[in-house]
Amino acid sequence: MSDDIKVSGFKSSELIAGLQAGFAKTSDSERQSLIKKTNGIFELQVSKDGQVATWTIDAKKTGTVYKGKATPKADVTIILADDVLVDLASGKLNGQKAFMTGKLKTRGNIMLATKLDNVLKTAKAKL
Amino acid sequence: MSFQSLVSGSECAAPANPLSQVLKHTEGDRSLQQLHQLPSTAGPSVANEQDLALARQFFDAQGPPTSFAPHPAELARLSQMPGGQGGPNLHEAWAMEQQKQQAYRPLEDSKQAGWVAEFGAPSQVTSPVSSTQQQSISARPEFQQRNSYMSPMGMYGSSMPMYGMSGGMFHGMNATHTMADQGKGKGKSREADFEAAFAQIAASLQEQSSRIEEVKDGVDDINEAMEKTKLHENSTSETDFQKVWEELQASELPPPEGDMAKWEAEFNQLMNAQRDELEDDYGSSMQKAWETNLGDFSTDSVPGGRIEFDDEGVPVLEPYIFEKNNKYMAEPPTRSLLDEAKALLEQNGSLSEAALMLEAAIQKGQLGEGGHEAWILLGETRNMDEREEAGMRALMEGVKKAEANGTPGPGMMSLAISFTNESYDKGSHSMLLRWLRATHPTHPVPEETLSAMKTNSAWDTHTRITELFLDLTREHHSRGILDPDLQIGLGVLFYTNSDYDHAKDCFATALGTRPRDYLLWNRLGSSLSNGNKPEEALGAYREALSLRPTYTRAIYNVGVACLNIGAYKEASEHFLSAISLQESSTGDSNDQIWYTLRRALLSMERPDLANMAQVENKGNLDVFRREGFDF
Repeated sequence: MSDDIKVSGFKSSELIAGLQAGFAKTSDSERQSLIKKTNGIFELQVSKDGQVATWTIDAKKTGTVYKGKATPKADVTIILADDVLVDLASGKLNGQKAFMTGKLKTRGNIMLATKLDNVLKTAKAKL
Repeated sequence: MSFQSLVSGSECAAPANPLSQVLKHTEGDRSLQQLHQLPSTAGPSVANEQDLALARQFFDAQGPPTSFAPHPAELARLSQMPGGQGGPNLHEAWAMEQQKQQAYRPLEDSKQAGWVAEFGAPSQVTSPVSSTQQQSISARPEFQQRNSYMSPMGMYGSSMPMYGMSGGMFHGMNATHTMADQGKGKGKSREADFEAAFAQIAASLQEQSSRIEEVKDGVDDINEAMEKTKLHENSTSETDFQKVWEELQASELPPPEGDMAKWEAEFNQLMNAQRDELEDDYGSSMQKAWETNLGDFSTDSVPGGRIEFDDEGVPVLEPYIFEKNNKYMAEPPTRSLLDEAKALLEQNGSLSEAALMLEAAIQKGQLGEGGHEAWILLGETRNMDEREEAGMRALMEGVKKAEANGTPGPGMMSLAISFTNESYDKGSHSMLLRWLRATHPTHPVPEETLSAMKTNSAWDTHTRITELFLDLTREHHSRGILDPDLQIGLGVLFYTNSDYDHAKDCFATALGTRPRDYLLWNRLGSSLSNGNKPEEALGAYREALSLRPTYTRAIYNVGVACLNIGAYKEASEHFLSAISLQESSTGDSNDQIWYTLRRALLSMERPDLANMAQVENKGNLDVFRREGFDF
């Protein structure tokens, strides 16, 4: 099943697959807590060498990750390059910087996009 | 530099979308700009202070200068004095840089060449020196100052009208840094030359400043010669500059149409080369975001199960829930549970135990100093015990009580940190602003910033609050004060913005004054860990835990770092020990730790164990002990 979500040639493909697997394994209460904190549907339009792959992270209704456009409509669509997504997830790049330098474009609620950080990053240390 | 001023500002605002202009401005090297706004984080660096002084004085655009840092141009000249090596190289590199600058800045060729010549001339005149020694050393600073003050402006003189006021100032202020940096960026050999020369000069300068008296004899004559050769040039360039400057200040009119159009075209061409098709919905979406209230999610999300925020982005929290079976409730009222809890915390006792005492104390009305002390202590204890939700609520109570009593301040910093951990960025900014106003009531806060808290996005408020904190830090720095709390605030601000490197610097600076503050060690560790350096983070956590072995949060963080390194078994062990520590007194533990434990177990490819680590039925930890986990 996780093979369906992959798009060959995309580095972020693995990342998304991992995210999907992670989402699938989370318990209901954890999913609820993620939804409560995030409350948004993200559509990712990832481009590489002229190709575009689209994935959706639903952290609002169902708590799932799937390939293709968001249904229902995404709260925010994030348009970025393959490498940028990988850097974002690994923490090399932060969302605001990426946005300000034009590496990342959005349609919809930009501030919601900043919460993607919490979704992509698995575990965060606390102050 | 406030973002807002760029948005609404400058006379140069192009006919097109002003926001796209902002983007152009921000395309520049912001990292450097930021770096130099951080005087104290970079340690007590001489150059920084002086740069700041230059900038400040520049913005004031008045008055006689105080002390001075030599401009790189000056450095080049100075380098000729001691020994003389490095000087020519630097000079050459410098001239080449100037030519390179042409690619970036629309300087007219003739002026450019003129400047280089003007710049080059005096350095050759410096060597043949004869003098009467009467020159007092005190004349030096002023001359240096004047010169360095002039150079950046002279250089950008021709481009300034096109940048308009704010642009001009911006470049003036940063010219020294950007140029130096570009020098380093290009060509290995030149970089080496440049750096060597720079280091040498820096060294010689320090030497000079440390023993001005001795240097006097050797340097005076050179000085005077320099002064002589330099003075009239200065005065001409000064009048030129002043003329332009005054013209600019006097007139509200934009610069000549032709120049502006030309510059626009050039700039656009350059920028577009880098940014191909990004222009269209990028600018417009940002504008849209700016206009619509960004922090407000109330329109587009489902009701219920959602966190409410007040006007300033502070989350509206449920009241604190006390433990139902608190053995300390039965204690006779003569015992001061508050004092006992404090003593227990002092002796590194169990955090959960101390929290129970504090809860009982509060319920019995022993609120301590100002009615907020017990609440805040309870909140901080809960947070240390990795129970953010409870901690946040208790801190909120404490902060409200303190505000109601007219003694705002205590607990605000801790609450801001809690908000940061829970990604309530705006709440955190708002709390930091309140903290700053409460603890430094004399520091001016622009009206605009106060109103921005209600209307603007977290990105905007972040810029504003950071600016405020930096201002105060600079002010302190100039008086030789280092306020660790201010550093913590700054660190939190950088951390909120995922600027973990700067956050780390701030916490490290604060640690310089409070080396035994385990909270700070943990914060340093978290900055490192989230900044993708989990290995280094472990060292900081170790310090924290050696000072406070029952610090549950630090144990949890060690687990997170292990998880990020890929040491899943060790990570699980740390999470398990955090859980057992929490359960030791109340039998309850935090859900978040269980989630993370589950993740670690899944990463170990032990779904069987992960199934036992369900939040719904927090299992007996002995199961894990039998599985060989050592905790």
